[in-house]
Amino acid sequence: MGLGYVAYPQSTGALRETYDRMLARPMPPAYRPQHGGVAGIVTAHALDPVLIPKVFGTSTTLNGAGPLTWPERELVNATTSRLNQCFY
Amino acid sequence: MIARPREPKGSPRQRALIEVATLVTEQPWRVERVAELDDDALVHTVALSAYFGHLNRIADAVAVPLDFEVRHVPPATDPNVPALAHAPTPSTGEPALSLEGRPATATAFGAWYEYVFDRDAPLSRAERSQIMGWVADWLGAPRYADDDGVAEPELRRLAELVTLAPWQLSDAAFAPLRAGGWDDEKLFDAVVTASTAGVASRIHVALTAIG
Repeated sequence: MGLGYVAYPQSTGALRETYDRMLARPMPPAYRPQHGGVAGIVTAHALDPVLIPKVFGTSTTLNGAGPLTWPERELVNATTSRLNQCFY
Repeated sequence: MIARPREPKGSPRQRALIEVATLVTEQPWRVERVAELDDDALVHTVALSAYFGHLNRIADAVAVPLDFEVRHVPPATDPNVPALAHAPTPSTGEPALSLEGRPATATAFGAWYEYVFDRDAPLSRAERSQIMGWVADWLGAPRYADDDGVAEPELRRLAELVTLAPWQLSDAAFAPLRAGGWDDEKLFDAVVTASTAGVASRIHVALTAIG
């Protein structure tokens, strides 16, 4: 269960606008969710729409640039997830 | 490598990345320089692991469904894994390396951090300050503010789970505060505040430990 979130179809107002901006971001196809919608980790921040661009703006500076290569960045991310026992 | 990150597999550089990410996640005060990573790569690894730990915590707290079919399913989450240890001593001295070496990251994270800590709702400013202090203490980072007001024990318990045992986040973790009238917006604010403090503290402590 956990805390609530708002999926794209149910979103309105500032949250919908934020979701639309997140969908419009340039992104490698591999990161596009198979369902074609907003990534679940973005949706997970739905309870605070103002926070979303701040968190994912930071992500862009870390996951979209070196010196670590893309595979190396994924290795760091996946290792961190594994140690935190998180499936994300 | 990822399923069992403690096993010695991969190239020396891959092992170094895994080692640094492991320490940032579990014991940031033990991060050391490694020959396979220059200073820029080390700062990138520290910041990336600290950042991704935030995403893990939010994903655990909210439990949104996965976006992808997972071909190699990881082991099931074991909530009985004990919480990470507190830092044995406070980190002292100035960081040997700085996030300012990645100006775009420093600016973006600065805006995120300021947003979380410089407002009055849903959490009060005093509650934010308390969480920031607790998380700093647990991870060995310096405190920038004293506690102001009476601490809510259940808030402290939730912040500790977020910081040191995010795999134990569940409805049971939120139940005491919900029983006290907290809604999901306020609970989410508490999770975000603890998690953001954790990102900042892990980066500071790791970059100080490098010496």
